[in-house]
Amino acid sequence: MAATDQFDAIVIGSGVSGGWAAKELTEKGLRVLMLDRGVMVEHGADYTYDGAPPYEIPARNMMPRPLVKSDYFIATHGYVSPSNQKFYNNDRLNPYAYDEGEKFYWIRPGAVGGKSLIWGRWSFRWAPEDFEANKRENIGGEWPIGYDDLAPWYDYVEKYVGVSGSRENLPQLPDSQFQPPIPMNVAEKWVKERLETTSPGRKLIHTRLSNMTEDKPEQGRSKCQFRAQCGRGCSFGAYFSTQAVTLPAARATGLLTLRSDAVVSNLEYDPATKRVTGVRVVDANTKQAEIIPARLVFLCASAMASTQILMNSRIPGTGRSHFDNSGTLGRYVMDHIFRVNIWGDIPGMTEYIEYGRRPGGVYIPRFRNVGGEEGIGFLRGYGYQGSAYRSPLPPEGFGASMKHGMRGYGPWRFGMGAFGECLPYEDNRVSLHPDKVDRFGIPLMRFDVTFRDNELKMMGDAQAEGERMLRAAGLTNVSSERREHVPGDAIHEMGGARMGADPRQSVLNKWSQAHDAANLFVTDGAQMPSISCVNPSLTFMAFTARAADYAVKQLKAGAI
Amino acid sequence: MIDRRDALAGIVAMFGATLFAPIARAASVQVAVIDTGPPSSAVFTAGQRALVSALSERVIPTTDTPGAIAAEVPQFIEKLLADWARPEDKEPILAGLGAIETRSRRDYKVAAADATPEQQDALLTLAMNDQLPGGADFFDKFRQLVITGYYTSEIGITQEREYLPVPGKYDGAYPYARVTKVFSS
Repeated sequence: MAATDQFDAIVIGSGVSGGWAAKELTEKGLRVLMLDRGVMVEHGADYTYDGAPPYEIPARNMMPRPLVKSDYFIATHGYVSPSNQKFYNNDRLNPYAYDEGEKFYWIRPGAVGGKSLIWGRWSFRWAPEDFEANKRENIGGEWPIGYDDLAPWYDYVEKYVGVSGSRENLPQLPDSQFQPPIPMNVAEKWVKERLETTSPGRKLIHTRLSNMTEDKPEQGRSKCQFRAQCGRGCSFGAYFSTQAVTLPAARATGLLTLRSDAVVSNLEYDPATKRVTGVRVVDANTKQAEIIPARLVFLCASAMASTQILMNSRIPGTGRSHFDNSGTLGRYVMDHIFRVNIWGDIPGMTEYIEYGRRPGGVYIPRFRNVGGEEGIGFLRGYGYQGSAYRSPLPPEGFGASMKHGMRGYGPWRFGMGAFGECLPYEDNRVSLHPDKVDRFGIPLMRFDVTFRDNELKMMGDAQAEGERMLRAAGLTNVSSERREHVPGDAIHEMGGARMGADPRQSVLNKWSQAHDAANLFVTDGAQMPSISCVNPSLTFMAFTARAADYAVKQLKAGAI
Repeated sequence: MIDRRDALAGIVAMFGATLFAPIARAASVQVAVIDTGPPSSAVFTAGQRALVSALSERVIPTTDTPGAIAAEVPQFIEKLLADWARPEDKEPILAGLGAIETRSRRDYKVAAADATPEQQDALLTLAMNDQLPGGADFFDKFRQLVITGYYTSEIGITQEREYLPVPGKYDGAYPYARVTKVFSS
């Protein structure tokens, strides 16, 4: 049965962005249908292994190798385990064109809540510089907004989400509305003091994390209990997820309908009125397709999936998308470059260990091409995420001496990894496969995305500077590694439907609204003309809340 | 995504080798459920099974806490090699067991499983020092299996080590002197 005029808005995707869209639109009085291609996961009830020790989890929580090889050969790069298996996409059932184009890890969720259930939760504002660099360097597309346009929306979402962190007054990393930070351990304080002294201008700060350090009783959420089992789902609601935060708010309005197992293939479009008229949905279980009429659509399916849906919304008889009058759709795809790790031993303090399993760690904000460190052979910059910890002593020999020898801890060790900004390149693109389709008839995504000279130089610098800083700070046995840089591996893929002031050069306008359809908003990572070097999810939230506010005002004014 | 601490610490991801399998396989829509039942096929002969059991206990013996047999490490090893590991992962284990068996019959005139604990320790030491064919490779992998099975078992997690289900707080300068056991993760 086709629904007719039952909903004021359809939200496609229920992850970080979709959840926020559903919350904001329902709270503003709209009847909303939220669709997700994945299975239903209810807060608490469906967190099967929440709190379980490893011996209660199948295969001791180690993903069986044959299953990785057959079904999770991409998800394995995204930390899938038996305790969170149902939150992940099955790579056999839902493929992309793995064997063609350039190597790309498209790591996808497979459940309602999307990546909000399994994300790393590091939460940073982007900086004024991040919105200005493209224009100044004449690279990629110019941002149609600046930091000041987004700042009030960062305030708004942070107060609701609960972001822990410390105020630092750094121009390259604006402060959020913080709850108190999760403490540094004694060894991290030691590294901080020495690193900031021996490498002037560089900072080592508390992580900024969407794990709460204060309760939010009005939302039924408790602060972090330091189990560090976040990716299994947290019944305390201590970290931001759709299930814990935005879905309850949207449901409380009585205006939300949520459909899981609902695969969106494309948007229906009327060129005469330049409006999206419907959303075509395939039931993942029955494969029945239907077109649901739409007055307003928020496309929040994830950067690459939203781009795929846009590209698959084609002018009949052509391969061209209704939404690609600019020729930029599917282009300027980016991901943070990483897989440079540096570590070393911290002398002393062996009278202390950590009690509790802490999520997050510490952060060294970007220092290159800001604050006087310019002219170093590459553009933009990188930051490091790290932590100090003590590992149990390794085995020596065998028998009782080995067993009892493992009853202690090794020295404090500090490890960190760099995340660097990737520039927007026109020919870093995704496209629809000309003839291969998935089980729903949707053309497979093909990736032709590579890191270039600027990104590779940046990672070389991150490795050298990381070693230098840790040695200067007094760490011993400092070492590093640089592994293969595969786009998608950071799971911060963005771009594909960038925003811009000029409809000839961009897919969306400054309100995340399609140039070619006033009733279509794309508020996830697809819209970014550049990607900073810090984690993006908090920025998705701010953009989504801002777009929802604008869309409802336009709707009420009769402009949509 | 999720906690990158392991990756950041430079610990090699547990699974990294298998990428980009062909997508042309027949697409069953059944999402695979992890098999936790008995081994789907026998990895060991009865004699090998007895030897695995005996050697597991020599690697992690019963002391003031239970050892590998009590923690059902031998069953874990056979299940893992039958269903959770790559098919080729059992080869160095079977080869090493064979080398130990041959040496036991030569030196002690008995099956290795029936040798005394001291004789079994001597055989394991020969393997550890690579004085048996494939010995060091076997020792490293077998010891890894025993350690993994033991420290992920209920006995390993709650008796040999201490598990905090809900720590409730984080103290980054907790006195080591107050710790009697290593915390399980």
